[in-house]
Amino acid sequence: MSSTTHNHIHENNHHNGSHVAKKPNLSTSVITASEIKSEFAHHDASVARINNGSFGCCPASIRAAQHRWQLQYLRQPDHFYFNELKTGILQSRTLIKDLVNADHVDEISIVDNATTAAAIVLQHTAWNFREGRFQKGDVVLMLHYAYGAVKKSMEAYVTRAGGNVVEVPLPFPVNSNDEIVSEFRKALERGNSNGKRVRLAVIDHVTSMPCVVIPVKELIQICREEGVDQVFVDAAHSIGCTDVDMKEIGADFYTSNLHKWFFCPPSIAFLYTRRNLKGSVSGSDLHHPVVSHEYGNGLAVESAWIGTRDYSAQLVVPAAVEFVNRFEGGIEGIKKRNHEAVMEMGEMLAKAWGTHLGSPADMCASMVMVGLPPCLGIGSDSDALKLRTHLRDAFAVEVPLYYRPPREGEVGVVTGYARISHQVYNKVDDYYKFRDAVNQLVQNGFTCADLSD
Amino acid sequence: MASTEHQNGDAVSHPKKKLKPCNFITEAEIQSEFSHHDTAVARLNNGAFGCCPASVIAVQRDWQLKNLRQPDHFYFNDLKSGLLHSRTIIKDLVNAHHVDEISLVDNASTATAIVLQQAAWAFNEGTFQKGDVVLMLHYAYGAVKKAIEAYVARAGGSVVEVPLPFPVTSNDEIVREFRKAVEKGKSRGNRIRLAVIDHVTSMPSVVIPLKELVTICREEGVEQVFVDAAHAIGCTRVDMQEIGADFYTSNLHKWFFCPPSVAFLYARASPKSRDLHHPVVSHEYGNGLAVESSWTGNRDYSAQLVVPAVMEFVKMFEGGIEGIRKKNHEVVVEMGEMLVEAWGTHLGSPPHMSASMVMVGLPPCLGIFSDSDALKLRTRLRDKFGVEVPIYFAGGEDGSVTAYARISRQVYNKLEDYIKFKNAIDELVRDGFTCALLSD
Repeated sequence: MSSTTHNHIHENNHHNGSHVAKKPNLSTSVITASEIKSEFAHHDASVARINNGSFGCCPASIRAAQHRWQLQYLRQPDHFYFNELKTGILQSRTLIKDLVNADHVDEISIVDNATTAAAIVLQHTAWNFREGRFQKGDVVLMLHYAYGAVKKSMEAYVTRAGGNVVEVPLPFPVNSNDEIVSEFRKALERGNSNGKRVRLAVIDHVTSMPCVVIPVKELIQICREEGVDQVFVDAAHSIGCTDVDMKEIGADFYTSNLHKWFFCPPSIAFLYTRRNLKGSVSGSDLHHPVVSHEYGNGLAVESAWIGTRDYSAQLVVPAAVEFVNRFEGGIEGIKKRNHEAVMEMGEMLAKAWGTHLGSPADMCASMVMVGLPPCLGIGSDSDALKLRTHLRDAFAVEVPLYYRPPREGEVGVVTGYARISHQVYNKVDDYYKFRDAVNQLVQNGFTCADLSD
Repeated sequence: MASTEHQNGDAVSHPKKKLKPCNFITEAEIQSEFSHHDTAVARLNNGAFGCCPASVIAVQRDWQLKNLRQPDHFYFNDLKSGLLHSRTIIKDLVNAHHVDEISLVDNASTATAIVLQQAAWAFNEGTFQKGDVVLMLHYAYGAVKKAIEAYVARAGGSVVEVPLPFPVTSNDEIVREFRKAVEKGKSRGNRIRLAVIDHVTSMPSVVIPLKELVTICREEGVEQVFVDAAHAIGCTRVDMQEIGADFYTSNLHKWFFCPPSVAFLYARASPKSRDLHHPVVSHEYGNGLAVESSWTGNRDYSAQLVVPAVMEFVKMFEGGIEGIRKKNHEVVVEMGEMLVEAWGTHLGSPPHMSASMVMVGLPPCLGIFSDSDALKLRTRLRDKFGVEVPIYFAGGEDGSVTAYARISRQVYNKLEDYIKFKNAIDELVRDGFTCALLSD
């Protein structure tokens, strides 16, 4: 499962200009399997950790870089503040700009996480409603599978300020991008009716639960054709997981966490804000909700100082880039091998259990939804959570489960899916452990009804 | 250490009369706890960034590792109870009635955004009328002033500043100005919806007669009182019942030995507090500010989890946190008086209006005539003399004291730190230095 056994280097797919990561390290400088193991020796070895998607991971060498920054600050914080912090943040932002093919470093702000980025964009939307740039009843579109926190943020900022939230229903399991595109078009039509405008579309790049790669470029083109003012892509997972090219995707706002698939410690995300926003009015700039003396100096500068805090996680991006470049093919190589491995493991599990995958390979990145045997009797969100806990406590398998309610007329269908991840530290044994745990539950005639509340 | 002053119910910090003196932390142990500080620097600015002892850093690392080891398990089983433990300790420390009233946030700036965002919604939803007043002190922290612009002014509120004298010689001067500002706020028939009052101002640093000002607010029908007490906990007395504010925030990483960064926001249980929301919205939205604040997405919460370890640390000192506070105050006033005598200047406020920091007048001959001069002199002191101390430009005529250094005293400070500062200034004076000589 390690990088040295899967040497598929697909050099011809590098459209995205992430030239920073394209150093094909040869022979001696490529990280070995035992070095990888050592980098993640702090992981609980007794656990089959197949949920990189939730909390990510951070190798020891990046942790060490973070500690160095932390100690430097504690040693003489005034000196750090005046002489080191700003340049360190700028260096991180510059690397990210190159990684995601943004035009200008001003377009890249560093924030805590995608949840914070969503609050920034939606607070801005709330002001637009309250200050009359958007009319009451104008629409903000989101996907049905938008992340729970983002849905709440829509309620807290958009609905509260008088906006109308329209959800795009999405099929799951899903078979092709067309299914998503057609639902999206229908929802846009709904939004644009009754004399109202769709002011903002919030689109996931990779949905969380259930996990599917969304055809964002196509959806954004449709948005432009249909006169949607602004598009915000919630790409919490994407950097290090799928292709991330700002110019190709064409969104106004785009956010992704670096602590999920880019090996940074908790927590750091970037929020890309395209300069020369279409349809924006002067004075409607984005602001960080935590206001400091930097207020008004642009989001990137505001975000670089939001009061005394530990900024060390935001300062280790150079160390993260160095780390990924130790792998064959850099971050591109890691992404491809993760994708291939997770598909292979997903198919192995689906075959072992007689189920299926939630989406085809071209709609998956480093995660895949694997159907669980129906006999396990997962009948609710609560069942899914309880079974997940049971897998953790009784089998030492860490994997998130998704409850998919049966549609009308569906009988005996798969109602539970496991979202398995693959990251460089995973081994094939992790997935066998999961396979065996589920097989054992099936053998024992287990159902979720057996679990207490 | 006087135990009679413990009327505020902070039972956790009772002096340990049972312990023999040899059980208290020794000077050598203190130096060891702070051995990661740059020893070449006279660190007289605890007020800005605080400090964190090695034993607390170690506990923080443990929490971080626990999360990295198995983050799902940590999230489901360890995080919530750890945060609740911290909040419970703080509730006792500050004499709040209920742990629901205590939320943990990153810093006072975040707490300010929470309170002011609530005010902005009130203006926008018509609960407050356009033109209703928000009061603040002239010496409010820069970030707070910007937050008032970003949320209150932008939403249609009217801002009234309370001018404050500096140097200041008595609480009466502050009370008088405050009463005048309240009258001014009410004069146009508008209601004063919110008063933002510092407990200890930042620059220049003065302890504000908070209890008196809050009483005036209640008498004059000010609807909400928010106290920005960024410095207060571990620096001055903090008793929620005694102070009587609606909202109160203080950083624990300044004077309470926590690593960066953690603050608490106290919100007195009432209909007003139900309207507070953390600006970073998670799935916990609507479950109360304390719960919302305990999960603002995937982050490192370790600084918020070490409060129990900090309690262990302060208990190693005679008198606990009360003992530390008192000693810091005594020493910083002593050092301040030593410096003003050496330089022929004066302190910016009397001892009873100072806590662990004091404003020390700098010799007029240094020619500090602008904020920029003050900053450049500060940089010079850092780069050339190894002295870290913030400098405040107060204005005034040529020949008078125009600038003050804000010296702090925390447990790691030594007499030599202040002597080093004294000597640096003496040398600048002897050399005929003036700020005009410094390049931009």
